[in-house]
Amino acid sequence: MSDSILKRKNKIRRTSEDNIISVIIFIVMMLVFILTVYPFYYCFILSFNEGINASIGGIYFWPRKFTLENYEQVFSNKQLVPAFGVSIMRTIVGTLLSVTFTGMVAFAVSHKYLIGRTLYTNMMIVAMYFGGGMIPYFILIKNLGLYNTFWVYIIPALFSIWNCILMMNFFRSIPDALEESARIDGANDLVIFFRIIVPVSMPIIATIMLFNGVGHWNDWYTTAFYTRNKELRTASFILKELISKANLTSITGADNTATAARAADAAAQNFTAESLRMATMIVVVIPIICVYPFLQKYFVKGVMVGSIKG
Amino acid sequence: MAQMNATAKGGTARRKPGNNIWFRLRQQWMLQVFALMGVAFMILFSYIPMVGIVLAFNNFKPKLGLAGFFTSPWVGFKWFREFLFDSQFWPIFRNTIVLSLLKLAFSFPVPILFALTLNEMRMLKIKRVIQTVSYLPHFISWVIVHGILVSFLNSSNGVINTALKQLGLIDKSLPFLSSPDYFWGVAVISDIWKEMGWWAIIFLAAIAGVDVTMYEAAIVDGASRMQRILHITLPAIRPTIMVVLIMSLGNLLGGGLGGSNFEQAYLLGNSSNYAKSEVLQAYTLRVGLENGRFSYAAAVSLMQSLISVFLVVTSNFVSIKLTDSGLF
Repeated sequence: MSDSILKRKNKIRRTSEDNIISVIIFIVMMLVFILTVYPFYYCFILSFNEGINASIGGIYFWPRKFTLENYEQVFSNKQLVPAFGVSIMRTIVGTLLSVTFTGMVAFAVSHKYLIGRTLYTNMMIVAMYFGGGMIPYFILIKNLGLYNTFWVYIIPALFSIWNCILMMNFFRSIPDALEESARIDGANDLVIFFRIIVPVSMPIIATIMLFNGVGHWNDWYTTAFYTRNKELRTASFILKELISKANLTSITGADNTATAARAADAAAQNFTAESLRMATMIVVVIPIICVYPFLQKYFVKGVMVGSIKG
Repeated sequence: MAQMNATAKGGTARRKPGNNIWFRLRQQWMLQVFALMGVAFMILFSYIPMVGIVLAFNNFKPKLGLAGFFTSPWVGFKWFREFLFDSQFWPIFRNTIVLSLLKLAFSFPVPILFALTLNEMRMLKIKRVIQTVSYLPHFISWVIVHGILVSFLNSSNGVINTALKQLGLIDKSLPFLSSPDYFWGVAVISDIWKEMGWWAIIFLAAIAGVDVTMYEAAIVDGASRMQRILHITLPAIRPTIMVVLIMSLGNLLGGGLGGSNFEQAYLLGNSSNYAKSEVLQAYTLRVGLENGRFSYAAAVSLMQSLISVFLVVTSNFVSIKLTDSGLF
């Protein structure tokens, strides 16, 4: 009797208050969704619209004058095409080498019986919290002869303490027996790492490859301050230059619409600096959008391990 | 004999302690090589620059190379004095502190609110889609965010200005990107937009770990949904909130959780909003790498590091005293 009253009371309470809260939550979350997605969507539709036509504004939901010209321009641009090449190269080479290097160090230091383990771990913790800042670092890069070479993208990024700690936490959870049986069969540490540890650690390796790859792909800073040659420019750096220039023109008071139209008229083209910029932005963003959702379940775990135990 | 007793795993048997360590080293030489690769890297790229801080106290001559860290003429606190008495000191220092505190006040609590709200969502499919989408801005560089901001906020054909004009709310474009008055607002809002979903991961995971029976008991006791959030969920994730708070205090001057102060100042900053946009890190880079005043820039950077170290140590101490949980 009292039980059924409780249930009914409960049910009534739930429907009245719950519904209001649910509706509010739904509206707030939809707003979050729109605020997050719309900026990307806006760039996306603008990149498919004729530049001249877009510069008069008023495009909010779909392209007004559909064209692929902006993308044709991006993929035939003498600056951007090689820059994409450099970006892809450094992302692939840099990520693979960094994950291998960091993984090998993490593998070694994750063994409890490793002589000097405490010293190695303490060195990592100190280096994680303290640094020399960018000036001594810059002088170091110059004196190592890395300045203005492709390797400045790869070598300083080989080892990441943060990723090393994430990997060490994962490796420690692997049963010792797995490694021991391989050792009895005569495998050395190198073989064990690549044939046993790497295959069973795919979740953490995928996460770190994502972090690393995105870091390489997005990095404009190294190009801006550690290189000078045009051949070493990355897509992110060129995009940064394009955007800064655009921002500056809009500030100096020049009317974007008019100048863009005039410039394009003079060259008898339909694209503008803005439409080209949008297409470049989309090309830079698309690989990230395509990759990260698939690694979601891994990096959510990875972030947790690092932040709570770290 | 000792060799026979020692296991392949580095030898736990200690018959002859004198020989044991060498034997173990021989057993694990390959692992030692792996570990020493990391040590060599850290010495080269972390510890040498740390030693290089001394150049804040001397007049570094680039042609002396790395040895110049020590062989350049000593000048004591000259650069520190120069910066403290520079007319730029106060605005830059103020911008750094104000932006950092604003981000602490807004960028830190918003992910908690977002996690609490998302957790209350009943439609699981939509919930998952929103969560996935909310991570996206974290993976996008500040360069792209800058590009988006330019197309939304510019004063000639920016989306926001055009929309406001069409709605009749303004008749002249607002100079979001070129007036110093708007910089702090734009910086904080874009920081929240970029990192909210990412930092909510940690809080959502903490919420997922809360014992379900507590909610059931609360329902039986007649607690409303708001009461359950305030009296069960929030206290349950308090330790996580403390850890994340200390982490963001540690990087307070860098811009908190997202560490966005530098990139925002460097990318969004320009000659017209410089008065409100320049921060210590960007200033270090401009005078150091762009003007070649290495020692002076190193002194500015060292001042920021000292303030940061002080903040981490203090906040960690306070946290241990108050809640028994700290980072170290």
